[in-house]
Amino acid sequence: MSGNNPAHLMRTLSRIWAWLFLLALVIFFSLTGEGFFSLFNLQAIGANVAILLIMALGQTFVIISAGIDLSTGFVMGLASVAGAMAMTALPPGTPLPLIALTGLAVGLGVGLIPGLVNGLIIAKLKVPAFIVTLGMFGIARGAGFLLSGGMPLPVSIQGLGRIGNGYLFYYYPSQGLSFLNPPAGVTGVELRQVTGILPHPLTFAVILVLAAHWLLKHSRFGLHTYAIGGNQEAAIRAGIPVDRRTVALYMLSAGTAALAGVLYNMRFTNGAANSGEALLLDSIAAVVIGGASLFGGEGTIIGTVIGALIIAVIQNGLVILGINPFWQFVAVGVVIILAVLVDQAKEQVAS
Amino acid sequence: MDEQRREHPALQVVGLTKRFGGLTAVDNVDMEVYPGEVVGLIGDNGAGKSTLIKMISGVYRPDGGKIFLEGQETTFVSPLEARRLGVETIYQDLALCENLDATANIFLGREPMRRSLGLLKAVDRKHMLAESRSVLDRLDIHIPDLSRPIREMSGGQRQAVAIARAVYWNARLMIMDEPTAALGVPEQRKVLHLVHTLREQNVPVIIISHNLQDVFAVADRVVVMRRGKKVAERPIQETTMDELVSLMVGGSLLEE
Amino acid sequence: MRTRQRSWLVLALITAIALVLSACAAPPAPSAAPAPAEPQAAPSEGGDQGITMALVIGVQGDAFYITMAKGAQDKAEELGVNLIVDGPPEWDAVKQTAIVDAMIARGVDVMAIAANDKQAMIEPLQRANDAGIKIISVDTFIGDGDYVNGPVTFPLSYIGSDNVEGGKIACEALIEAIGGQGKLYIQNTVPGVSTTDQREQGCKEEIDAVDGVELVGVDYNDDNSSKAAEQTTAVLQREPDLGGIFGTNLFSARGAAQAVSNAGLTGVVKIANFDAPESAIEDLRNNVVDLVIAQLPYQMGQVAVEYAVKAMEGDMDAIQPRFRTGYVIITRDNVDTEEAQKAIYKSE
Repeated sequence: MSGNNPAHLMRTLSRIWAWLFLLALVIFFSLTGEGFFSLFNLQAIGANVAILLIMALGQTFVIISAGIDLSTGFVMGLASVAGAMAMTALPPGTPLPLIALTGLAVGLGVGLIPGLVNGLIIAKLKVPAFIVTLGMFGIARGAGFLLSGGMPLPVSIQGLGRIGNGYLFYYYPSQGLSFLNPPAGVTGVELRQVTGILPHPLTFAVILVLAAHWLLKHSRFGLHTYAIGGNQEAAIRAGIPVDRRTVALYMLSAGTAALAGVLYNMRFTNGAANSGEALLLDSIAAVVIGGASLFGGEGTIIGTVIGALIIAVIQNGLVILGINPFWQFVAVGVVIILAVLVDQAKEQVAS
Repeated sequence: MDEQRREHPALQVVGLTKRFGGLTAVDNVDMEVYPGEVVGLIGDNGAGKSTLIKMISGVYRPDGGKIFLEGQETTFVSPLEARRLGVETIYQDLALCENLDATANIFLGREPMRRSLGLLKAVDRKHMLAESRSVLDRLDIHIPDLSRPIREMSGGQRQAVAIARAVYWNARLMIMDEPTAALGVPEQRKVLHLVHTLREQNVPVIIISHNLQDVFAVADRVVVMRRGKKVAERPIQETTMDELVSLMVGGSLLEE
Repeated sequence: MRTRQRSWLVLALITAIALVLSACAAPPAPSAAPAPAEPQAAPSEGGDQGITMALVIGVQGDAFYITMAKGAQDKAEELGVNLIVDGPPEWDAVKQTAIVDAMIARGVDVMAIAANDKQAMIEPLQRANDAGIKIISVDTFIGDGDYVNGPVTFPLSYIGSDNVEGGKIACEALIEAIGGQGKLYIQNTVPGVSTTDQREQGCKEEIDAVDGVELVGVDYNDDNSSKAAEQTTAVLQREPDLGGIFGTNLFSARGAAQAVSNAGLTGVVKIANFDAPESAIEDLRNNVVDLVIAQLPYQMGQVAVEYAVKAMEGDMDAIQPRFRTGYVIITRDNVDTEEAQKAIYKSE
């Protein structure tokens, strides 16, 4: 009985430590970093983390199912190249929403193919996910570069950059709120007094986060994801169509990576095969910091959001403080180990 | 043989055989189980008990022989199909997802759905919880917090969850693999009591156990296997523990 | 037992948190990176001019940018500008964007930046410009680099080498070194980087202009020497009579030199190395490479700070939309001259 209290304490601690850590970081940087705690900067953190976070959503499902997807970085790149090619191929004068939707559809469609292949090989041929997705890491990378001819593809379409960099609302002191566009007639220096509220990438990410949360928490697919990660054998015996779920899981992961690629198209008006290269490990780190276990069965979408925010806040805060950015790697590395330590401490005290 | 004409067996297997490479794990085994009957399946390690029940529960495809369920010849292509036809198995390792709670485990693979937000289908947790409570009550099982993951429960509670899952899904045949192993004495008693409850509800049970006392406590009939073959079958009143032990380890002991 | 374990864990936890926080608070490590320009002076108050300027370099730990930061720092001290130097730990537009946004949040007045991607950095810098920050390109540009008639016009100036010219000069010297005719091969880094793309272009133009010189291929090595070596080895197999190799940066030339030396062709196949960190000069002295083309990053840093001050003073006429810094070609013959020595990039 004496173990009950520490166990309870540890359980609570393991559930909220990431929140507390994020809060501590925000407070610390707010006190020490000039300009950190401003509407612009906090929204910029949100908008900049969106691509990483979207990529991490699918990865969360895969990791909960005791798998891993190493191909997401280059699937994102491949999708961004495909999206860029499709959008630039449209005849001039095509309405912007149609261009954006075409980019979305083509990027997503092309991005889902590697996911389907990953899933089929893992489910049907029983090759470990680590190996299959490492192979796909190379294949998607090569395909992206081949498709783009080795060069980044500029998407210089009027207004496209607004989708990736604009805000849902604009506030101008003398005119109040305006929707989607800065208030008409405000130009030049006056433009600097306009405050953007809710950057589009952030809105987009929030919608996807809510959808992913619902899927994991309330759908049969989500429950089965936990079951497969907890005990695959038991899931099979319980009659869960594990193979089909596995294919769906890797398609989901590739799908969110592809969405990240299309968002990259809009935000950077560019399609590049290596656009997601630097994001893969960060996205896995976000999932792990968020409390998901690489052994499967544990993890939440909210945890992944916190994990991604911790990484983004560290990266932003260290720049604001003018700290050598190589410390970012160190800091994120320490947080990953910390996350696993907290998890193990919980397990130890519980047993 | 008279019994067989008296009523249909719930389960009948004829000439069931399974080979793994050169090894014949189950060799031409016949066996019947009648409604409301508890059959003990005993044998030494490697005698083929587990392989036999894995064929009956659809995990393995037999290499030979037939399975009849309530008189109908059946071939299971998957454990799911076996379960759909009412063959519920409680394995040694319980086959539960330790990271999920009792409710999710009882309904795993057959979750009730409800409409959510108009179009989407969500898992109906409320319904699951209420049904879980009622089946656990019916079996006189007490689990205080159904929302806690199975891994935080005692061995007996896990066993009870596995049994409750089978009962809830109206098992026509219940197979229990070492249900009392790794349990404390009070929990063993509880599980054996559950087997009695199942028999009262006319569910036929095959129970595999190393513990012959358990078998004597609950079984009506005993089937003994050795090296893949069925070597004996005895009504429980007509045998003794000594006889069963010698049947399990081989004829040599009897001859000595 | 359990209690002891727990207190150990709590201790570990606290230590780890303390570590992270102290990492944030500690002064930057005295590493090779351009010590983020001693931002001790409270950023907003700055020096005499009251100007806070950010220099966002292309990547940390690169001697070229360290030299550029040194030039900027020296000029900033002279003019009383508060300078903040930062840059991504790896060459990546997404990571550089996070730095640009953080600089916007810090409220700097001017931002000089070596953009990581000529297209991808347009929108983030547009955002900075919208926030009232004056943008100056150093070393690399955005759009097509023409800030008067090009698609992107908001940056005040592009201060940097003319890399087409640089590629031309390099290959002109290389062609001379191989005796005016033969086969050339280009080792390039990553496609899409404006500078190296243009060096390749300039070199190709020079090759086209000279009769009897043939380009056998261009390969991209991801800024990785061992990859460059692999590719060059394969090319040497294919083209046994290769005359010379143009490495568009240090890593490219290094890898190519490695492959040439492995093939026992040192001195036979001439190698031109674009950029002049100390190690390139060492390679030159050791006969590993034969030509080193030095840019003038120190001058770029100085001009960027001068322009920042002019822009804040409103003296826009003094700012050229394109400022071409020159080149110095270093060979074993002139390496010890003062001009060559001054052009070498210093890593501290």
